[in-house]
Amino acid sequence: MSSSPPVRNRTSFQLSVVLLPLAVAVVFLFAWHAAVRMSGSDIFPTPFEVLRGLGELAGQGLLFKYVVASLFRVSWGFILAVLIGVPLGLVLGWFRPAFSALNPFIQILRPISPIAWIPVAILWFGVKDTAPVFLIFLASVFPITVSSMAAVQNMQQVYLRAAQNFGLGGFQLFRRVIFPAALPQIITGIRIALGVAWLVVVAAEMIAVNSGLGYLIIDARNAGKRYDLVVAGMVMIGLIGLILDLLVRRLEKFDEVRWGYGQR
Amino acid sequence: MKLTRALGLVLTGWLLAITMLHGGLNLQWFDREADGTKSAKTFGVGFLPVTCHLTCPVTHYINENMEKADLFQPMRFSGWPELKEMFIGRSKDMPASFILAPMAIALREQGVKIKIVHLGHRDGSAVMVHKDSGIFQTADLRGKRIAVPGRYSNQRLIVFRELKKVGMTFADVELLEMAPPDMPAALYSRAVDAISSGEPFMGQTELDGYGRVLWQAKDVWPGFISCVLAVHEDAIRDHRDEIQRLVNGIAASGKWIDQSMTHRMDAAQFVAKNYYNQNPRLLEFVLSKPPDRVTYSRLKPLRADFEEIVQLAKEAGVLNGTAGFDEYVDDTFAPDPATVMAPAFEVKK
Repeated sequence: MSSSPPVRNRTSFQLSVVLLPLAVAVVFLFAWHAAVRMSGSDIFPTPFEVLRGLGELAGQGLLFKYVVASLFRVSWGFILAVLIGVPLGLVLGWFRPAFSALNPFIQILRPISPIAWIPVAILWFGVKDTAPVFLIFLASVFPITVSSMAAVQNMQQVYLRAAQNFGLGGFQLFRRVIFPAALPQIITGIRIALGVAWLVVVAAEMIAVNSGLGYLIIDARNAGKRYDLVVAGMVMIGLIGLILDLLVRRLEKFDEVRWGYGQR
Repeated sequence: MKLTRALGLVLTGWLLAITMLHGGLNLQWFDREADGTKSAKTFGVGFLPVTCHLTCPVTHYINENMEKADLFQPMRFSGWPELKEMFIGRSKDMPASFILAPMAIALREQGVKIKIVHLGHRDGSAVMVHKDSGIFQTADLRGKRIAVPGRYSNQRLIVFRELKKVGMTFADVELLEMAPPDMPAALYSRAVDAISSGEPFMGQTELDGYGRVLWQAKDVWPGFISCVLAVHEDAIRDHRDEIQRLVNGIAASGKWIDQSMTHRMDAAQFVAKNYYNQNPRLLEFVLSKPPDRVTYSRLKPLRADFEEIVQLAKEAGVLNGTAGFDEYVDDTFAPDPATVMAPAFEVKK
């Protein structure tokens, strides 16, 4: 008898996790459709037209190709940003002179939009995949560096004192204490940075690459009245962004990260 | 550490998988046929999906089908700034490009060593207004908002030229710079009163039933030039034969397009599907309604045409006129239009 209420609670929780967002989506789609119909616009597409556009792209095999191309560029740009941003942030957070020397430089570069870097990216890398990868790297490396830096700077002193009592120092101190202690906050930074990396995919693919969801949007603008494909590209970017966020959230289930989060 | 090891493995696997997929699907890494037929030595020629640049894909298509080899690699861009940056910044990868005539002259004035070697087209631009608007003649544009592609476009200069004819200047209208692909939607929503650009974006508003022609370039500025083929001087010096073959191809394919309406309709089909990714109906419309809306036969650069452009651009404040015709044009490649023969090519149906 005592086990039934939790089961019911869990079921209703799972239902609400699925049903509530679905209900919001249905209301949103209905409002979208109604707004287009009421405005009498034959340029802005209805949800059905966008779905048909997605079907057309899928039928031509382009949708999968474009998703792969965008994921390829975001994966490389983002993973390079993690590989450089996390160690750099840890070092800057720990060594005060390094922080003093480099932090102003980072804070100058950080607010510059990747769109402003497009001319530089073309001049340096041409119009191959390296240019969008570079732009995505730039967009994501600063949030990762700054969150890693802050994670070390805000670390509780008690961990350090305990480690020092055990005689830990140098690289061991970094590997066994500083990095694990900073990890939950680093993961939060990585999650934000992944969102940013995926956010700039349209800007990054404005460069003359010939594939990708960002390219799909730019290309559809050149294709006459194909705003259904523009919105189809937006919808795909949104849906994949949701999946990426769900995947990164799974990192929070690891013990190494979970301890750093509150229980709510 | 459990997390880092798991992450390392998953991410390495993911990177490998997505790289192989991208290489296979988008970069043709595993396409043996492509490796065998394409020459690695071809150079890039920049273009945009507009009718002013139509001879670029047509030359490539005819060459590929007749010679079974690539003379050059057409590099498609979505907007002027990216095309211009690639052209001036990466001249080894893309030594030649279709580009706006005043932009090419401005780059030359600013010290970029490029030369105009051929024209891309004649005519093929229009100023459109909304079909329900009260604008029926140039004088009606007073106080109206007009979208133009950019300061270095001849579509801006043609507005300047027509305003001048009725005693008006840019001060009498509100000019707005806008990317041509965005212009039809801006006109539809009445965000602007008139739009001035090359095709097919002007024809699109007519085809979709909300645009009305205020004037066609061919009627108010006969022989209007918007875009030209420009080449870096390094390439002219080091690869003269390749540039000559490119220019010959462009001149011949221009003749081929103008040879018959069948060729125009065939070009609309294969260019829309293989190069522009547009609805072929749109290109069919602008290449036939009327048939001389845009033409491709008289493409040798002429001094008088360019001097008029420079004079207008000086008056409009976009060029300072420091570069002479012989500095920004090399007309030694362009054949006499009367001697150019269209290739004996027919699209297999």
